[in-house]
Amino acid sequence: MPLRAFLAWLVTIALMLDLALPISRAAAATPEELEAQLKALQQQVDALRRQIESSQAAQPPAAPVAPATPTATAPVTTVETPAPGKIERLSSIADFKLGGYGSTRFEASDLDRLNESFTFRRFVLTGDATIGGRLRGLFELELERLTELEVERTAPSEAGRRGFQQSIEGSDKSEISLEQAWVEFTLADWLKYRAGMMLVPVGRFNLNHDDNRWDLPRRSLVDRGVPVLPVTAAWSEVGMGFVGDVKTERWGTFGYQALVMNGVSLDSSIETIARGSSELETEVEIKARRGTANIDLKRDKAGALRLTWSPAPGHELGTSVYYGRYTPDFLPSEALWSVALDGKTTLGPFEVEGQYVRTHFNNIRRVARGFADAVAERAFSSGTPLDVVVEFELAGLADTKQGYWLDLRYRFFPDFLRDSLLGRGFDNPQFIVTLRGEQVWLDGLVSEIDFTNGHLTSFQQDNRHVNRVTLGFAYRPLPLVVFQTAFERTWTDRGKSLSGVTNFLPARRSEDTANTFLLGVAFGF
Amino acid sequence: MGSDRLSRRTLLAGSGGLLLAGVGNAAAQEGIFMRPEEAPRALFPDASAVTDTTVTATAELRERVRALMRRAPSYWEPAYRVFRVARHAADPGFVIVVEEIGKHRPITFAVAVDGGARVVDVAVLAYREAYGGEVRDKRFLRQYSGKTLDDPLLPYRDIRNISGATLSVEATGRAARKAIAVLRALGDLR
Repeated sequence: MPLRAFLAWLVTIALMLDLALPISRAAAATPEELEAQLKALQQQVDALRRQIESSQAAQPPAAPVAPATPTATAPVTTVETPAPGKIERLSSIADFKLGGYGSTRFEASDLDRLNESFTFRRFVLTGDATIGGRLRGLFELELERLTELEVERTAPSEAGRRGFQQSIEGSDKSEISLEQAWVEFTLADWLKYRAGMMLVPVGRFNLNHDDNRWDLPRRSLVDRGVPVLPVTAAWSEVGMGFVGDVKTERWGTFGYQALVMNGVSLDSSIETIARGSSELETEVEIKARRGTANIDLKRDKAGALRLTWSPAPGHELGTSVYYGRYTPDFLPSEALWSVALDGKTTLGPFEVEGQYVRTHFNNIRRVARGFADAVAERAFSSGTPLDVVVEFELAGLADTKQGYWLDLRYRFFPDFLRDSLLGRGFDNPQFIVTLRGEQVWLDGLVSEIDFTNGHLTSFQQDNRHVNRVTLGFAYRPLPLVVFQTAFERTWTDRGKSLSGVTNFLPARRSEDTANTFLLGVAFGF
Repeated sequence: MGSDRLSRRTLLAGSGGLLLAGVGNAAAQEGIFMRPEEAPRALFPDASAVTDTTVTATAELRERVRALMRRAPSYWEPAYRVFRVARHAADPGFVIVVEEIGKHRPITFAVAVDGGARVVDVAVLAYREAYGGEVRDKRFLRQYSGKTLDDPLLPYRDIRNISGATLSVEATGRAARKAIAVLRALGDLR
């Protein structure tokens, strides 16, 4: 072996030994041994205390001394004894923390088809455990608008013939979703290996999506209502990667998240509609969804990188990028990329927070053509008593989507209310006034495609925009609980419906503006 | 060719070594970061002598602390460890170990206070929450220097908040105020 190569290996081994020794030294002091040492020290302290007490008892009783004087205990000059109960090694089971958050909202709108409604937005259960010294696990399970899910399966017998019956009962537009479930191995503050179902680090909202963190009762357009993110928040994917922070005294804290994952893919959802006209319609909606947690539908993987810089407490700037193929293997290989820029700054009671996201889907016309080729037939009829119609829809695709939200907040609480019902018993109750401005542009939004015998016969695109302004007022008795109220005005291109561009406003064909009043509560624990 | 291979090996070995050297300083958000007995010299670098006292938190002491704080702390310790610190060219100071609940668990702080009942510095000795460990940062804790019991020490008022760590930030403020209140209740400070 050449000398330089040998030396290089020698350096590596030396470094490893250098690292291993402190580790083994540390490992020598196991929790049990430390506990034994602590017990021994505690016994010494107890003995000293008994000695002092007996010497005090031997003296004539002194006049009562205020317990708050330092003479109540004798000074001990040793600095070896840890404060009782202050430092202990918690067991993994004791170190499991169960938490969660939830939110409910009432909304009233001037749209014809939107009834005044109470919405149970979601309830999310979270668990966080320090599994071992530098191993940590976390999960987040979401029940969104879910009130019931009932499955029945029977095999009834009629006139000696066996039949099979299956029924599913569920609540409207509800879901159970595993938003996060990962394990993290801390190698260093700047190098933590993470694997599992993780939030994709694109934009600050997706990472901080807990409802009780926000002072408005509706999520932002780019993250939820008119998703510019490839998938609506909370967007999580199965993958692996590294996260970490680098703290500097002079330049503040730098952070990063670098993940590789299955990534977003066009996927189908099937909706069955029984029409009054004896038609049974099945609609197959193909749209970008978070990647599978099973065998990936595509060969290529996706990557995301987020960099943050916090020059001082209360100030943060972040930039993110996501790149990956969005088509399954049966469609032509095309990629999408997203970039985001976000930040937050605090100046006393004022806060400014915002996020810009831009997503580009490469060559969606080619994807549509491939889709037509794969599906071949648009509709067919069967000979069953019901007419069965199958329709396919390629939803939510646009050449480029971009948008932003910008929050201006002012926090206050009048002193004269501190002893009132709103202030009593709370350390730092707050009123928060929020003004949010949002805009989204959808360039080349696919508005209609048609295909016959595997050939694309029509492919129409449109350029659309959506604007929204929200003025909100919130009361936060504790950091984890917020009572919110807001008025929002949403509008799109004149004469065009809001329903074609938003996923939450069932507007009629001519309704291009919606005014909505919202009242919400969000809590965490 | 041989030289190419050599440089690649050197590079791999070097980068591997650097990586391992870096990870040698591994630290998680949760953990014990300083022992109480190390705190006096960490918070008062000019300390010349340290005297260690443990004071039982009697009901009467708690009552006086509560009155001085004008609001209840989130946690009552069974005893307080107080270090009296003699300094080379300055008035004596005090370091007291206190605990306050973050979200789920107590955070252990050492608070350094000068003879004028002003916070000199704060250190986090033990952090047991999964989030919010940024309160350990020096640049955050620096905000408490010079604060007194008359200051609210609350986010959005006189303390800059850390996003996602509001409960820990509030706990730090309560800990600093409790430290001064305990020392005043003990008669160490006016």
